[in-house]
Amino acid sequence: MAFPLPRGVTASEIAFLAEMETVTIVPRQRLEGLELLGGPIEPLVPPRRASLPLWLALLLKRQRRANIIPPTWLHPEPLALILEVESQHQDYKNAFSPPPPLPGQPSILDRDALPSARPQYTPDGNRYYAAPPFLPQNTAQTVISSRDTPSLPFHWVEVGNLLLDAASDDLVDPDQIRRLLKDLREVRMAKMRSGVDVLDAAATGGGGVALTGVGSMELGEERGFITGVVDGLRRIGSSKEQARREQMAEQRANGGYDGTQDDDEDEDYMEF
Amino acid sequence: MDIDDILASVDRGPGASPESAALDHQLLTRFWVAERAVSEVLPWPAPLMERIMDRVRIQNQISNAVQHLQIETIEDLAASSETTLPTTANTHNPNLNLRLSILQTDLARSQYIPRATKTPLASQTQSTASSQNPNQQPEDSVPDISELTDLAPLSEPETSFLHAHQTLLAGHYAASFMGAFPRQLRRLDDNAGGTSMIQGPDLKEVVFVRCLGAEVPVAVGGEEEEYETGVTMRMGDVWVVRWEGVKGAWGRGEVELL
Repeated sequence: MAFPLPRGVTASEIAFLAEMETVTIVPRQRLEGLELLGGPIEPLVPPRRASLPLWLALLLKRQRRANIIPPTWLHPEPLALILEVESQHQDYKNAFSPPPPLPGQPSILDRDALPSARPQYTPDGNRYYAAPPFLPQNTAQTVISSRDTPSLPFHWVEVGNLLLDAASDDLVDPDQIRRLLKDLREVRMAKMRSGVDVLDAAATGGGGVALTGVGSMELGEERGFITGVVDGLRRIGSSKEQARREQMAEQRANGGYDGTQDDDEDEDYMEF
Repeated sequence: MDIDDILASVDRGPGASPESAALDHQLLTRFWVAERAVSEVLPWPAPLMERIMDRVRIQNQISNAVQHLQIETIEDLAASSETTLPTTANTHNPNLNLRLSILQTDLARSQYIPRATKTPLASQTQSTASSQNPNQQPEDSVPDISELTDLAPLSEPETSFLHAHQTLLAGHYAASFMGAFPRQLRRLDDNAGGTSMIQGPDLKEVVFVRCLGAEVPVAVGGEEEEYETGVTMRMGDVWVVRWEGVKGAWGRGEVELL
């Protein structure tokens, strides 16, 4: 009984994950709070805003029991700004625009600040750092400070499309948003493809290729291609790597490894 | 009987809070994505799974109770509509249907993940089987399950499934073609000629990770003292790296597999 699917979650499973994102709604009717397996649901009292998982928000929206307030990034202006950064900005010629910071991560503007990850603890005593889809990256913020640069969340393709499908009447200028999302997707897909050159770095021992800012769906699309290329390159270079490791072990055995020789090898990663 | 009575009557067990349910849900989701992303069998999160399955069981009971309630309401409605306008039954609890559909959607979504986690495991375990038994029959290359004390990373049902599967397979091979082989070539875990017949998972495969800790170095080389450090990932970064390089950090919860 072989597992028929390739490595990684499938596209429909990625959409399933994206439906766990939290969005803001304005309920049109009252509903008592519920304790669900995915966490508690706050009581709905119109016209007070509430934060719900996307699947529930869509369920209520389809039954006309609520209106969804579009996420802060899903407006024409922020999207146009991100598109400009993606396509025009020098720093992001080969990289994706920066993702929204994780809790405790300094914003992109003050790069010198040190990140301070704040873990929660699981019942089994392990550390747990929250990450998308369990961060409020798709809620509507009431106050937008000028310091917050707009950024695309991890599940931007899925959330954008689901909302365009089910709640286009709640969005500001949905046609324009649809166009911008399509443009963004094309620009970013072109970057992904042009980045094949640097994949060699991921095939070396301690190397890697940064894909910071990539979206979940984009990753799902390119996973097979990237892993295929990297594994192929690795197989080609495996004897070279083996030789290098033996050489290093020898140097270490001879006492003193000066460490300068291999530095360039380890530093040859590039941002996409 | 009202839906609120049903919800209130449920004993969720000691130490259960809505927040811990949310956290467990997040942990399970992350584990599922991770299991699908790597070639290796990850350690089975037994306590987590137990908690989740307990909650699913309780939620199932609630859902069933509410469904009964709903049928009663509909019957009331049908009975009353013949005589008067259906005001009483419907205003009595206007959100019953909605709440039931929310409960059931949530239940279906939550059950999907444990189910989806088990399927890849079943196939990954099969490629991991190995043994140390020196006898020369295909059947003998399957280790005796009762002698194994440490099942990690498998759970008990997985181990017994795997054992049964391997025994069956070995018996079939022996009967169909391996019996004709020379004695020394009959083992399924034969490693004559420098080629092992056991195909282990490929630890050098690349994975996609997000760095969650402040700084996480990629460590490769495997053996304790002679591993070299590669690139350093910063918080929030997404990288394509070798699984063996971030396995330790994954165990500490500092990186997330995507």
